[in-house]
Amino acid sequence: MSFFKFKSKLYPLVAIFGSLFLIIFGLVLARNENLPWYLLGAFVWLCLFGCAKGCLKVLIPFIIFGGAFAGIAYASAGGDTAAAVSMLNRFGALFLGAALSMSVAAVRMTRSLSEVHMPRAITLGMLISMSFVPMLKGEVGRVREAMRTRGAGSVLNPKILYRAFLVPFVMRLVNISDTLALSVETRGFTLGPSLYTIYKKEYPALSDVLFLLGLLAGAVLVIVL
Amino acid sequence: MSYEQQSADVAALIENTREIEMELAPKRAALQEKLKKREAREKDESKMFRRFKIKDIVFLAIITACTLLTSAIMPLLIHVPVFGIIQLGLGLQFSIFPVIGLMKVRKAGSMTIMGVFIALFLVMMFPPMALIAVCAVVVELLVFLFFRSYKNDWACVMAGTLYMPLTVPLLYLYYNVNYTVTGAENEAVSMFLGGTDPWVIVGMTVAILALCFVGSVVGMLISRELKKAGVLKK
Repeated sequence: MSFFKFKSKLYPLVAIFGSLFLIIFGLVLARNENLPWYLLGAFVWLCLFGCAKGCLKVLIPFIIFGGAFAGIAYASAGGDTAAAVSMLNRFGALFLGAALSMSVAAVRMTRSLSEVHMPRAITLGMLISMSFVPMLKGEVGRVREAMRTRGAGSVLNPKILYRAFLVPFVMRLVNISDTLALSVETRGFTLGPSLYTIYKKEYPALSDVLFLLGLLAGAVLVIVL
Repeated sequence: MSYEQQSADVAALIENTREIEMELAPKRAALQEKLKKREAREKDESKMFRRFKIKDIVFLAIITACTLLTSAIMPLLIHVPVFGIIQLGLGLQFSIFPVIGLMKVRKAGSMTIMGVFIALFLVMMFPPMALIAVCAVVVELLVFLFFRSYKNDWACVMAGTLYMPLTVPLLYLYYNVNYTVTGAENEAVSMFLGGTDPWVIVGMTVAILALCFVGSVVGMLISRELKKAGVLKK
């Protein structure tokens, strides 16, 4: 049975639950002295369950921002190391949660949500929002390139920002949205209560259960010890 | 089978079909009437409660993506212990883009849909902010109370202005739970930037409201320009 297979990718809903758990647990127990060990363990645990890429991606931002904010906390608390560590804990939990949620592809998330009968409007919106972010970066680059070509000046000037950046940018967004809506409709998406099938279904596996149990067991140890 | 027998069977079948058709006729007429009414309602721009089309959802989702992309600084802001810093950092983008979305999709529920989309992502950045979806519903109710629809541009501005400031009470709750209650850090936080001073709260709330109002007006101006240029089709 597929449930007993060790899957390299986590079930999307399990990943989201795990991500939320890590963030909330980290924020609530930021002052606990055992939490850094738990977060370190969670980092390794995530790497083992197919999130190594995401974990490595957030490592450098964590060192930079976590370090900076821990420094501020240390200085503002009059040299209190515990304040700095708790700030590091908060950032650690947040970045680990982000790494976990980043490991879920938009399309897999949409499939899982469709399986649990989430309204089509929400799954469609989520799919677009998640997959549109990289495209937006490209659009921003294009508008800025056009500004440079026309010699429009710096975006730091509010007038230039409005006239040469915001207006063309939103214009592009509207055009893209119209084209995308047409494309979505021609691919048979409807918002009505019509029947639909999921081409590739997502199933939770034993590895997902193991992953969650690991996170929960660690959390219990942090509280008990 | 003889020819007469066949003719009788065919006649019976035809009669049967006619009977079924006569039985179905009122239902079919009612359905046609319903579809016509729905179509008329869809075309009637003055009606607030219209069905969402795919293009509406797509546009609102894209606007949400823009809002989210520009709010990527949020995970950093939540650790700055200044009252209202999140709202102050995100106020502009959370007012410009929703207003543009509302001015294109002037339907009841547009704000709620944007709120839900945003909440689904914010919950992964900072769980308390996921309640922004509730703020969207409250904003929509307030707009309906005063303007009854999004037909008026200023209704959209009002929605954009109130959207982010309504999350301030949530933040107050967060500060109380996460910092004040946890103990030793409270002093450091208070010393650091006076997070619990009522005047700081009042000042920041006014600043957030002002910022969101400016953002909403900018959003309205952009939408008006696009409408004038014929880009913002309904």
